[in-house]
Amino acid sequence: MKKNQYAILQDTSEKVSHAIAVVVLVLLALMAILPCLHVISKSISHGTRVTAGEVLFWPVGVQFETIDYVLNKTAFWNSLKNSLIVTSLGTVIAMFTTITTAYPLSKPSFKGRKLFTLLYVISMVFFGGIVPAYMVVRTIGILDTYWACILPFAIVQFNMFIVKNYFEGLPESVEESAMIDGAGDVRTLWSIVVPMSMPVIATVSLLYAITYWNNYFHAMMYTNSSDMRTIQLYLYDIINNGQAFAENLYSGWNTGGAAISANVTTEGMVAAAVTMSMVPIVAFYPFVQRFMIQGITVGSVKG
Amino acid sequence: MKDVKRIPIRTKVHNFFVYFRQHPWLYIMLIPGLFFLCVYKFWPLYGIKMAFQDYNIFLGSNPMEAIALSPWVGLKHFRKLFASSNFLRVLSNTLIINGMKIVILFPIPIIVAILLNEIRRRNARKLLQTSIYIPYFFSWVVVFGIFYSLLGTYGIVNGLLSGLGIERVRFFTDQKIFRWLLVFTEGWKEVGYNAVIYLAAITGIDVGLYEAAKIDGANKWRLTWHITLPGILPTIVLMLILKVGYILDTGFEQVLVFYNAAVYDVADIIQTYVYRLSMGKMDFSMSTALGLFNSVVAFVLIIGANTVSKRLLNRSIW
Repeated sequence: MKKNQYAILQDTSEKVSHAIAVVVLVLLALMAILPCLHVISKSISHGTRVTAGEVLFWPVGVQFETIDYVLNKTAFWNSLKNSLIVTSLGTVIAMFTTITTAYPLSKPSFKGRKLFTLLYVISMVFFGGIVPAYMVVRTIGILDTYWACILPFAIVQFNMFIVKNYFEGLPESVEESAMIDGAGDVRTLWSIVVPMSMPVIATVSLLYAITYWNNYFHAMMYTNSSDMRTIQLYLYDIINNGQAFAENLYSGWNTGGAAISANVTTEGMVAAAVTMSMVPIVAFYPFVQRFMIQGITVGSVKG
Repeated sequence: MKDVKRIPIRTKVHNFFVYFRQHPWLYIMLIPGLFFLCVYKFWPLYGIKMAFQDYNIFLGSNPMEAIALSPWVGLKHFRKLFASSNFLRVLSNTLIINGMKIVILFPIPIIVAILLNEIRRRNARKLLQTSIYIPYFFSWVVVFGIFYSLLGTYGIVNGLLSGLGIERVRFFTDQKIFRWLLVFTEGWKEVGYNAVIYLAAITGIDVGLYEAAKIDGANKWRLTWHITLPGILPTIVLMLILKVGYILDTGFEQVLVFYNAAVYDVADIIQTYVYRLSMGKMDFSMSTALGLFNSVVAFVLIIGANTVSKRLLNRSIW
């Protein structure tokens, strides 16, 4: 009898806590998703409906003129191209330096391991500041080139340590047998260690790709010609102009979203540009989020 | 200690050369990484000299050469800096904004992770986790765009407010609101990511503990309080140490993207001010001085955080 009572009690407490969890989490999920839906809806809704605030989470008076305008009348494609170049080239370079650095440092017998590791730790905890870094970039003459955007993340110490820790966790016997078979260090790394480390390599590549793709500050600091603008700079300009119009920030304009045509308003344009910049991330998300979660786990086991 | 024989330095050098000749490629491999490290991390350290000079960028044939040629002025810029009201303003803004973020946002991902762990059906949990986590992948500019759409003068929230006859709220230009906007958007972007970290820690807890407690008649609340929370306590402590240790280094890109002249008084943090001083006013010496102050304090904080972490958790944060 008593046991049964406990079972019921446990059952209700379980049910109640489960219900609370579901409600709270669904609310949080909606908070994350609905704003995105709102922006997407706005980007393909009729201009006057947008300005009137009638668009919530579903498009009203569907039109694609705004998207068309953003794609073809603004610098969208050029900045997309710039971001793709910086991201792909940057990720490849960064992964190369990360793996080639992590491998020697992961070997317990490597002479000089402590010294080289210390160099990376020092550079991680003490930063010269953005102004000296700018002077270096300007001195080596890569200001306003893709290289200026790639250099800052060509090796991120934290990512290097993730890879190094993963290498350290690999069974030593495999490497030893490769060595006995006469494979040198390069062969061992390339044909034994790297194939065994695909999970961490995928995760860290993704971390680099996101860092490059999302970076705003370095692109702004190190590029200035309009040809070199990355997608983040391009997007910022559009939002900022829209905001300046609407919020009456810099001058006397207050037109309630200046209309370019009946359908295309600055409000709609901002939404369309944000939507188009979100598309690559959202398109890749289902494929890569598995690796990200793996990465967090790997990184938090020993960061 | 006493058993360790001291190896003579000559033997050490000899051992090194033997190893080097056996594994030359391990050293060659280090070159690309060291190259980038020297160019972008160590060479700028020389630029710290600018803080003690009246730096003139046009001396010599390039900006780094100009550092060698500019005249020394000692601590002039630091005296000016510490005497200026701007310094106090940006320092307190940095601490207030990041402090608010820690106090308000720190517990949320822990709760979210515990709740996510309650969801038994795997697919439902995956779906919820994935949705909450997605904003982490957006850049600050995209987040700015999304929140501008929501909270701008003609955004959805102000549309609803004016529909109810309430005055429109200027979320981006009102000094009383702006910091809360920063805290809220930070939470929107980062809570999911941090929750996944805690969830990973919860999954590592021994299931046997829960079974045993259940047999003793513990209910859900007790299980959470007595098993889950103590189980992830090391992770919680580590995250808190990291957050406090990096208090001067976070939030730069967010503020840079979100702020505008109307809210400089409440939103301008050290790094945004350094940026405007250097790129805007071309005052490279003063901005380097402020940047150096930031780096030194940040360095002390991070070393302190690491010491605390070693003491409490027996692990280094890097």
